[in-house]
Amino acid sequence: MDRAFKALLERKLATWLEGPVRQRHDETEVRVRAGDVPQVMRTLHDDSDLRFEYLADLCGVDTGTAFQVVYHLWSDVTPDWLRVIADGIPRDEPRVPSLSFLWKGAEWLEREAYDMFGLVFEGNRDLRRIYLPEDFIGFPLRKDFHLADDAARSPGGGVRPMDRPVPPADADATTLRRTSPGA
Amino acid sequence: MTAVTGYWNRLSLASRALLVLVPALLVLGGVATVALALLLPPLLDFLGANLGLVRFIIAATVIIVVTIPTAFVIIYMELKVIARMNLRVGPDRVGPFGAAQSVVHGLKVLSKEDYTPAGVDVSVFTLAPVAVFLTTIMSFLVIPFAPGLVAQDLNIALLYFFAIGGLNVVGLMMAGWASYNKYSLIGALRAAAQAISYEIPLTLSVVGVIILAGTMSTTAIVAQQSGSFLDWNVWKQPLALLVFFIAATAEANRTPLDMTEADQELVAGFATEYSGMRFGFFFFAEYVNVFVVSAIMVVLFFGGWTAPFDWPFPVQLALDPASLGIGLLFLIALAPVLGTVILALPFWLGSSRISTLQALLIGFVLFNVVAVAALLGWAFVSFDWVVGLFWMLAKSYVFVFVFVQMRATFPRVRIDQLMGFAWKWLLPAALLNIFVTAIAVSLVGKG
Amino acid sequence: MTTPTRPSLDDPALAIPVEHAGIFEPIPVPRTEREREFYDLKDGELLLNMGPHHPSTHGVLRVVLKINGEQIVDVDPVLGYLHRGAEKICENADYHQVISQVDPLEYISALFNEWGAVLSFEKLLDVEVPRRAEYIRVLAGELNRVASHMLFLGFYALDLGGITPILWSFAERDEIMEALAALTGQKLLFNYFRIGGVNGDLNHEFLSRVGDWMSRAGTHLEDGMTLLNENEIFVRRTRGIGVIDRETALRMCVSGANLRASGVPFDLRRAHPYSVYPELDFDIPTRAEGDSLARYLLRFDEVKQSLRIIDQCLHEMPDGPVMAKLPRLLRPRPGRAFSSVEAPRGQYSTYVVSDGTDQPFRMRIHDASFLHLEILGLLMPGTLVQDIMVVMSSLDPVMGGVDK
Repeated sequence: MDRAFKALLERKLATWLEGPVRQRHDETEVRVRAGDVPQVMRTLHDDSDLRFEYLADLCGVDTGTAFQVVYHLWSDVTPDWLRVIADGIPRDEPRVPSLSFLWKGAEWLEREAYDMFGLVFEGNRDLRRIYLPEDFIGFPLRKDFHLADDAARSPGGGVRPMDRPVPPADADATTLRRTSPGA
Repeated sequence: MTAVTGYWNRLSLASRALLVLVPALLVLGGVATVALALLLPPLLDFLGANLGLVRFIIAATVIIVVTIPTAFVIIYMELKVIARMNLRVGPDRVGPFGAAQSVVHGLKVLSKEDYTPAGVDVSVFTLAPVAVFLTTIMSFLVIPFAPGLVAQDLNIALLYFFAIGGLNVVGLMMAGWASYNKYSLIGALRAAAQAISYEIPLTLSVVGVIILAGTMSTTAIVAQQSGSFLDWNVWKQPLALLVFFIAATAEANRTPLDMTEADQELVAGFATEYSGMRFGFFFFAEYVNVFVVSAIMVVLFFGGWTAPFDWPFPVQLALDPASLGIGLLFLIALAPVLGTVILALPFWLGSSRISTLQALLIGFVLFNVVAVAALLGWAFVSFDWVVGLFWMLAKSYVFVFVFVQMRATFPRVRIDQLMGFAWKWLLPAALLNIFVTAIAVSLVGKG
Repeated sequence: MTTPTRPSLDDPALAIPVEHAGIFEPIPVPRTEREREFYDLKDGELLLNMGPHHPSTHGVLRVVLKINGEQIVDVDPVLGYLHRGAEKICENADYHQVISQVDPLEYISALFNEWGAVLSFEKLLDVEVPRRAEYIRVLAGELNRVASHMLFLGFYALDLGGITPILWSFAERDEIMEALAALTGQKLLFNYFRIGGVNGDLNHEFLSRVGDWMSRAGTHLEDGMTLLNENEIFVRRTRGIGVIDRETALRMCVSGANLRASGVPFDLRRAHPYSVYPELDFDIPTRAEGDSLARYLLRFDEVKQSLRIIDQCLHEMPDGPVMAKLPRLLRPRPGRAFSSVEAPRGQYSTYVVSDGTDQPFRMRIHDASFLHLEILGLLMPGTLVQDIMVVMSSLDPVMGGVDK
């Protein structure tokens, strides 16, 4: 845990922070709104005190109530991993600004997140499925995506063929397998 | 009538076949004898008048037959030598030390389905392996294996050799174009580019040898190098040998210059769509080609059939079989039996664990080895052409070995490096060689 | 039933529309900006489909090449032929089962898959791992790294058309794999690391095999694997091909040996230390060139450093237990943990979200090979068809890790 780094972040990112900067083990975590991601990342990348030049990971998370996009960054100014969570992306309109203007390599990571969660990254010039075939229907890592043999887990729900997904707007407690609003 | 059918019905299948075939053969034989008696004299007259044609037909047949063991030997060499270099054992199941493995490969290829994919240009697709194979064995015609042992002693043999060798690429182009596959097409285009580029230094590199020899006849070139190994062209034309060797590697499509096949990129290139014996023909031709370029290299630069040094222990065998008289008959009748028993005796006496039959078997095998060795030795000291054939094959296989070893040693070059090397280095080197040779010959004279 | 007839060129079903540069397949309808750019074919350009059944695409990678003669105009890697949804599977497995589920992802160096998973789980659970277990992890991991790099060094030569080094390197790799099999019980997918330690202490066979191998590893490496390093053909084919400069490497999120070959001394064992790496003495080799040859030679240097680490681990191995005391059923507090290990192919990271149950709520696995394939699109245009093997192979992707 790098206390000084927490203070630095609170100063630099004051405009965009949603909630406190959290620290645990070797990780420092900030939450921002999805729309603010480009400015936050630009600051983290370009600021001479921060120098987060290395994007370690970009992934989507479905909390059951909303989507998140989680970025992990590395810099030589701190021994911690920096986790930036773009929180509260609505399930029925999952739009996030793309990061490919800063790290071109994020293009494929965003394609993967689109493939698995249906997150639309605005500004990504190659947003198509990367693993699954083009004609695949549904986004498999969403919590309301059930495979046929998932019926055993939720007998009340019965078998829901995966080619007829429940639209996210209609998702309710029975279609969502698990929710974790605190994630 | 019933007696006949009853008799017929009681016969086994084999007897029935015999009953039909034997009279039929008798009748046919009679007819054939009569026809031969009528046709033979004019035929013999015709052949007597055209001895060259007879010689050619026999030579061509012999060459087609001889290419088969040649390819088998080279394939076996390739399997075994590369295996050894790769820390592997290689084939060791079929035949002694796996020597029959390549024969089995050949049989396997023969027994596979000869598949014609959809969309190919069927006639061209079918003819391509034939074209490749024919051009390769046609180059065999001018290789002198021993004094007098050359299929056609052409006075323009080298010209013929390079002309036919250049035709090889037509077959590859046919295969690549007709296959209806982009990989094959790229392979064929590479083959065309490579063959045309390397044909030029290949041909120019031997001009120096031609100037020295004053002839394009292969037999004459070999004869001109006779003597000891100091008389070989390699000492007078080292640069030409280097250029020829590299260009020949490219011509024979061998690693590191096997752009056309390139398993790792083009997935066998022109041969991607081929299967069964058509595919077999391509590889048959490739291995025969390795031998052909090795042989022609030996002919041009390493004295062909001539021995590198005089045999230090000249043996004169004045053995006239006719002088033995009736003894010859006894020799032929008794020698195998006696030899077998004599060679078996030590084993039979020496170990109680070897039964009589086993001992005799060992004796028989040993006798055969001894007899064959004796026969070969006798042939070697008695006939010039056997000596010539021995040296020719020995030298050729040394270079075949080098080609095989190169395949296990080098990675592949890139196509632009390949082409650049041909035009920027090999061609100037070959031209330089011609100039230097010509100036040297005009100043010093041949020799 | 009709008898099947041999297809003929006159069959209208087989006729090729002129606008089709693919032979049998029509050009796909472009959907994105990048696809529109890729499938906009100019005169003389041809689409060549390489893979998924191609001898040198390292498994089931498919690359669509836009070529003009021998020259590559553009490439479009197509993934997913090995995708099994490992992240979804992990969400349905409990924390112990996850370890065996992530094992086959990047199958050449399976220990690092497990390492990433157990590191993040241990963070979630606040588990202290015994020091002996950490040393064993480092020892086994570095052995696996050497084995993985050996495979790369051999296969790189094979992709360039040299058929011998692969078998020489396999002989070396097999000795390591036999030793690891003696330790873990498996030869490829070890399933050896556990949350809070490792499964089983060092045994006599493992130590004797490793000692035996270590006694001649250095000379074998110098003798056998230097077969190619100064080969003129090899050097000419790899030098200056597929150059990734420092800025591009960072922009493309490259990691591992490929990043270090571009002159960035970024190695997670030093940059973000985990396990007992801070106590061990080793260097981070870098090279400035950033081309295929540099990436090849860099892995060579890394093997030597790994041999140093193995040596130190064997000499400084502490005594003690190899497993922390943990309950059978693990229910970590709700929370998030991210961990990243330096796998042979680069950064291998795991992000796990817990919701208090015995199964991860979200398990994110990221393998560096995935992003290394993305650079192909930047590196390949302008080179020749033959160079794609040189460059792709030098990036050393493993499709198991790419496709998850």
